[in-house]
Amino acid sequence: MKFTLFGVNIMLPSDVLAAWVFTLLLGAVVVFLVLKKKRLGLIWEYMVTTNHRKIGILYILFGIIYFFRAGLDALFIRTQLAFPNNDFWVFQGEKYNEVFTTHGTMMIFFVAMPLLLGLMNTVVPLQIGARDLAFPFLNAVGFWLFFFGSIFFNISFFLNMTPEIGWTGYAPLSTEQFTPGAGSDFYIFGLQISGLGTIFTALNLIVTIVRHRAPGMKMTRMPLFAWTSLITSFLILIAFTVLAIALYLLMFDRLFGAGFFSGTEGNPIYWQHLFWIFGHPEVYILALPAFGIFSDVISTFSRKRVFGYPIMVLSVALIGFLGFMVWAHHMFTVGLGPMANTFFAITTMLIAVPTGIKVFNWLFTMRLGVIRFTTPMLFSLGFIPSFVMGGVTGVMLSVSAADFQFHDTHFVVAHFHYVIIASTILGIFAGLYYWYPKITGYVLDEKLGRWHFWTFLIGFHLTFFPMHITGLEGMPRRVYTYDDSGGLAELNFMSTIGAFLMGVSMLFAIWNVYKTYKEGRKVGNDPWDGRTLEWSVASPAPEHTFDPMPVVEGIDSFWFAKSAGKKMPVTDQVRATPLEVQSILPFLIGSTLFFLSLGLTFSWYWLSILSAFILFTLLVVRSLKDEREDHYGRRK
Amino acid sequence: MNRAEQALFNDKKMGFFIYLGVEAIMFAVLFATYLIFTPASNGPQPSEIFEAKTVILSSFFLLSSSGTLWLGERALKSEKQNIFLTGLGITMLFAIIFLGFEVYEFASFVREGHGMGVNVFMSSYYVLVGLHAAHVAFGIGWMAVLFVQYFRQIPLTLFTEKLSIFSYYWHFVDVVWVFIIGIVYLPYLL
Ligand code: HEM
Ligand SMILES: [Cu+2]
Repeated sequence: MKFTLFGVNIMLPSDVLAAWVFTLLLGAVVVFLVLKKKRLGLIWEYMVTTNHRKIGILYILFGIIYFFRAGLDALFIRTQLAFPNNDFWVFQGEKYNEVFTTHGTMMIFFVAMPLLLGLMNTVVPLQIGARDLAFPFLNAVGFWLFFFGSIFFNISFFLNMTPEIGWTGYAPLSTEQFTPGAGSDFYIFGLQISGLGTIFTALNLIVTIVRHRAPGMKMTRMPLFAWTSLITSFLILIAFTVLAIALYLLMFDRLFGAGFFSGTEGNPIYWQHLFWIFGHPEVYILALPAFGIFSDVISTFSRKRVFGYPIMVLSVALIGFLGFMVWAHHMFTVGLGPMANTFFAITTMLIAVPTGIKVFNWLFTMRLGVIRFTTPMLFSLGFIPSFVMGGVTGVMLSVSAADFQFHDTHFVVAHFHYVIIASTILGIFAGLYYWYPKITGYVLDEKLGRWHFWTFLIGFHLTFFPMHITGLEGMPRRVYTYDDSGGLAELNFMSTIGAFLMGVSMLFAIWNVYKTYKEGRKVGNDPWDGRTLEWSVASPAPEHTFDPMPVVEGIDSFWFAKSAGKKMPVTDQVRATPLEVQSILPFLIGSTLFFLSLGLTFSWYWLSILSAFILFTLLVVRSLKDEREDHYGRRK
Repeated sequence: MNRAEQALFNDKKMGFFIYLGVEAIMFAVLFATYLIFTPASNGPQPSEIFEAKTVILSSFFLLSSSGTLWLGERALKSEKQNIFLTGLGITMLFAIIFLGFEVYEFASFVREGHGMGVNVFMSSYYVLVGLHAAHVAFGIGWMAVLFVQYFRQIPLTLFTEKLSIFSYYWHFVDVVWVFIIGIVYLPYLL
């Protein structure tokens, strides 16, 4: 569509135009509601907060918004693929490339990551008896970096400069020669900024978990979600750092004429190595916290301590460790040679062992338990068989010789959605339903929860199961059309129906949130009859928790005190609490990185230099306004 | 330092060490990149363009700045304010001189036509050594802030804390430089 604005001729495809219209309308509605209900103060409060629960809420809020955004992309993909030789709206050719790129990138970096980090932020301190994360200010910085990174990535669509290089950004496609537009730069800087925030948050979580546990809360007594958060944070530190450097090198290739990944001397395979040294651990970064959520949920709703606690911890650590030795299974068809392929095939298969152990331990936790089929428990039960299916296809893919057949087909698409959706997404749902009272003070409606669960689970299998078969028939991924042979038409149509069913199921979730809010039935501290420390504090968790500080005497100490009709012993021997502040600096710091990247993307170097200057000024201001000054003894 | 201050400082110390771990991984990947791409099959070669003189001089200043910082820190502990100020001042001066050498080296490469895009060796050289130089520049700014904090008379324990965190950073930057000497320069200067 062509039109003129302020004398400039603008060419916008109709989908981008629709996005503008939709966003502006929605924005107007939001602004209207905010002004009508006089909630500007609330927004400001969240912009300056450093409280872990509030930052967690922000992460979750934006994770959900992006889930709808990336889910819409998925529906476009599925509608385009609904029939053979279909021409849906604009989604053919390059547009299709764009839509799966934004879908994949957003789902991984701006949906799964923030939702998990949000849950960790809210829950982990409460589970271990910490009053906040160790560095509240840094926590806010981490969030705003994520926020501005994601916004940076998102504006590309509105400027009709969407990246089209897949979520993997493979070189040489991602180098300047083949994607000269700004799209790939949006990908690079969007991930770079938000990834930096993720690294800071991981660091913060580690220090919190290692140093801020309640008295008596030994590492070996921590709930499993805290454990998996700890191990995940270590994976983040390594994986996201490698990604940061990969993006850094790609940036030099694109903007400053370096030649790491292309040209006569550069090596596109090097990008693949770096990307997958990040990328494979990343899938464990997504899965392990979900494992922790399931362990806590299953144990609570089976009224039993989790089976084989030490083994559960060890297997997570082992998965995390092995996760760094398998990256080249994404590159079996590159031609690294039989030795390399065999090595990576075997390490990949090995991971099935600790994972299998965990599955059995979840089953044994339920065995002879008193099971309550609440919504969080339903999501956990749905997870087990679905995830096992994804695991089985994973082992199939690890057979490097066979992978030559599977590679880059819809079989792979089926596989990774089975593992990611079954673990991460179902885990996030389980966690959100489970901890919703701790976050907001309300319990979500169980009936709507069941509708959400069943429609999602059925829709999910309906979408992705057929892709195994279409994939084995040779239907390639990342291709916008197919012809009507070998029964592909029916199977693809089933997939599309399933995808829309999942879309519907998310409407139940939203309706549920709305209904719960309207009814406004507050709950007490412990609506689920929980076992771990977070259920001892008020719902929603107040800003100042654990006063007096409980003393932990074993695993599930809260539960045993409760069953014995006693209160947990308390102490006033408490280590120094992290210093909370209210500050707009984290927000501003994030925004300077946004403008810095914008300047680099469009070669407006004055903007980059100005932003960098403001950034350093803000850092100096931060140092001069250190909240510790007021807490430390004055100099004589 | 009382117990609360000690606890908060230990938090910060641990956090900062983890951060340095992250930095170490970053540099490790860049070293790997350098090793993979050097020497390049055509264009300038490291043995042709590196100059022992610049490397030795700049190393002298950067490495000894670690020592002067250490002396300064020790002086602060024994409340010898002037020695402390001199120590930190010399550290900053040496850092600036080092940075001057770096700029000079980069500029002369570029003048000879060995820019970023000439070949993969030059690219991997610039992204690695350039990132290190950026760290030195950041450290100089950090020292300037430390001076400000000192004269603002913030609580002494807090100042000591800030100084220690800075010194971890500075020693780390020095260690990276030692690796740069050993991996980037030395094999092609001998
Ligand atoms: C909610 C329903 C979802 C549907 C219907 C869906 C559908 C699809 C389809 C059909 C593709 C393949 C496109 C192609 O290769 O031609 C795809 C790719 C992908 N999806 Fe999903 N997906 C969904 C959710 C998710 C979630 C939750 C995640 C991760 C958290 C995810 C991550 C990805 C990734 C990483 C790709 C690869 C993109 C690429 O090739 O670069 N998806 N999705
Ligand atoms: Cu993998």
